[in-house]
Amino acid sequence: MKETVLETYGLTKYYGGTLALDHMDLKIPRGCICGFVGRNAAGKTTAIKLMLGLLKPTDGSAKLLGCDSQNLTPAIRQRIGYVTEGHRLFRWMSIANLEKFQRAFFPKQWDDSFFAEMIEYFELPKNKKIKHLSNGQRAQVSLALALAPNPELLVMDDPTLGLDAAIRRQFLEGMIQLIMQQGRTVFFSSHILGDVERVSDRIVVIDKGVIRADCSLEQFREAVKKVKLSFSDCPPARLDIEGLLYCRRSEKELELILIGTDDEKIKQWADSAAAIKYSIVKMNLEDQFIEFTAPPNHKKLFQWEKN
Amino acid sequence: MALWIQILPGLDKPIYAQIVAQISENVAKGELSPGDKLPAVRKLAAELVINPNTVARAYNVLEQAGLVTTKTGSGTFISDPKLRTTDAADINMLAERMDTIITRGINLGLKSGDLVVMFKKRLEKFANRQKSGKKKK
Amino acid sequence: MRFLALLKKEFRECLPWLLIAAIAFLVLGGLALRLMIQSGSTFSYPYRLPPGSAISTFRLTVHSPLITTGVWLFFISIVLGLALGIRQFFLPHFSRTWGFTIHRSINKLTILCAKLFVAAIAFIISLGIVWMVIYWYASLPEILPFPPEPRLFMEGWILIAMGFTVYLGTALAGLNKARWYTTKVFPLAFVLVIIVTTVSQWKLSTAFAVMLIGSLILLSQIIHTFLNREF
Repeated sequence: MKETVLETYGLTKYYGGTLALDHMDLKIPRGCICGFVGRNAAGKTTAIKLMLGLLKPTDGSAKLLGCDSQNLTPAIRQRIGYVTEGHRLFRWMSIANLEKFQRAFFPKQWDDSFFAEMIEYFELPKNKKIKHLSNGQRAQVSLALALAPNPELLVMDDPTLGLDAAIRRQFLEGMIQLIMQQGRTVFFSSHILGDVERVSDRIVVIDKGVIRADCSLEQFREAVKKVKLSFSDCPPARLDIEGLLYCRRSEKELELILIGTDDEKIKQWADSAAAIKYSIVKMNLEDQFIEFTAPPNHKKLFQWEKN
Repeated sequence: MALWIQILPGLDKPIYAQIVAQISENVAKGELSPGDKLPAVRKLAAELVINPNTVARAYNVLEQAGLVTTKTGSGTFISDPKLRTTDAADINMLAERMDTIITRGINLGLKSGDLVVMFKKRLEKFANRQKSGKKKK
Repeated sequence: MRFLALLKKEFRECLPWLLIAAIAFLVLGGLALRLMIQSGSTFSYPYRLPPGSAISTFRLTVHSPLITTGVWLFFISIVLGLALGIRQFFLPHFSRTWGFTIHRSINKLTILCAKLFVAAIAFIISLGIVWMVIYWYASLPEILPFPPEPRLFMEGWILIAMGFTVYLGTALAGLNKARWYTTKVFPLAFVLVIIVTTVSQWKLSTAFAVMLIGSLILLSQIIHTFLNREF
């Protein structure tokens, strides 16, 4: 049984009357790369800040490396790397200043050569002040500062937001470098499904403050299915197919989003419902995510007009 | 022997499946021969910028299909064709793929005779490639 | 090592304000002193004896050109207090760096202490030293016909302490996570009360006491808020 490095129990947060996070239960084992995905304002930053003890929960609790989030000791914080939303750093400091500052907090862990390599690889000017760097460069510095102490647990809040494709790739390379080492765990939020697909082995989907999925990436990919069926007449009113999340109806067609339904069962149901034809629509991870988090009555914004 | 693997996230085909498909193709084309060593899991993962577990999974699937064998400590190697096993599911998948090709051919206006000729020609090409691949060794 | 890194960082952030205050006070305060000396005028203020004293009907006046300097010290001290308070406690919120600052392998309280300690040192170094220099200059025999009152020296330090109290009030206002018109204004109003109360004291010891009590109240609130607020 692998050790749990990140766990939450009914973690809830209200901002005044607004529910930002609704009873989140998570158990992330050591060595896991977990992609935390959700649409904008789904509750990702709230959840991460709660885990790091920067916010207080309205209810529930969280633990990092076995320590309660509201009382993270300095020794525990030393083992956790954190990349904040927007990569906020002290604007007046140069990269060299920041290195000295950060290094002081990791007297035994700091990997000088790794930091130097990253700065060189990113082609960052060591003596330039943070305020004179672009967003992308700031993100690179942020990543280097978080990785150089070789943290056991790396928590990143939307680390690639607003970054171009090349820098996003560098971020992923840095992540891969880290996870190659034994026992490192990464928990990162993102809305770039391609990145999540590359590096994660686990996916947690959050929508409007509620955890909608928490499983291995494979399971998610295999479970979320879209089936299109057409009928000679009105589609059946009763949809007693197992795993139905929601459906979209039109005059003679039906579109079903199913979770975890066997291809065989789909075929059987299509036959029993007398569908003229049916097909299991191919979806990539982004499609699956969109369908999984779309509201049931979601209509397409633009409709082609029939001539 | 250079093994060039490309993956694209964001396809409907999972990344591990893409790796499996490409390695399988390489074996079939003779670009990978029995005894050839596949790149180490970590090396390939770093190169492709993907999770090492994904590469490991691909290698597992290939091993279960009998295409490769893993020797702990040494690595993963292409296995002897004589030792490979196929099961009904594999044959089924093959049959389905053949159906796809036949459908396309018929839609393009080809007759079954034409299709058979085409098929034979492609088989010959593969056989030639395998021969030349063996010559290089 | 960790605390030192924090101190260095806080000090570097306060340095510009420290220097501006020191130079401003040196120039303006010094200039005021020289002008007063040259014009031969003496600024004075009434020094009231406590009620019930036998000679309370007399109003003694303290004459000293240093009093204009004192006025400058009052204003510069308050401005320095506001500036440091804003720099250390308002700016991190606007530049969203609290997250980066708080997530450290060090006690939260230590982070706060570094800020407070640096601010205190800033007041002592920038205004304290300049004040001592000016006072020493004024006490040189060739400068003034009579040496300045020792009381004035202490009053100068009270003015510096007042600036520090303004700093504490600003700090608390910055830490309070609330709308302007509610809890943010309250600490500053409290500071105003302290200032007015201090200035109206006739005894130096009571003035210091008021200052001290007010500052301790603010300090305890700062510590409590810092340890309990959300970032």
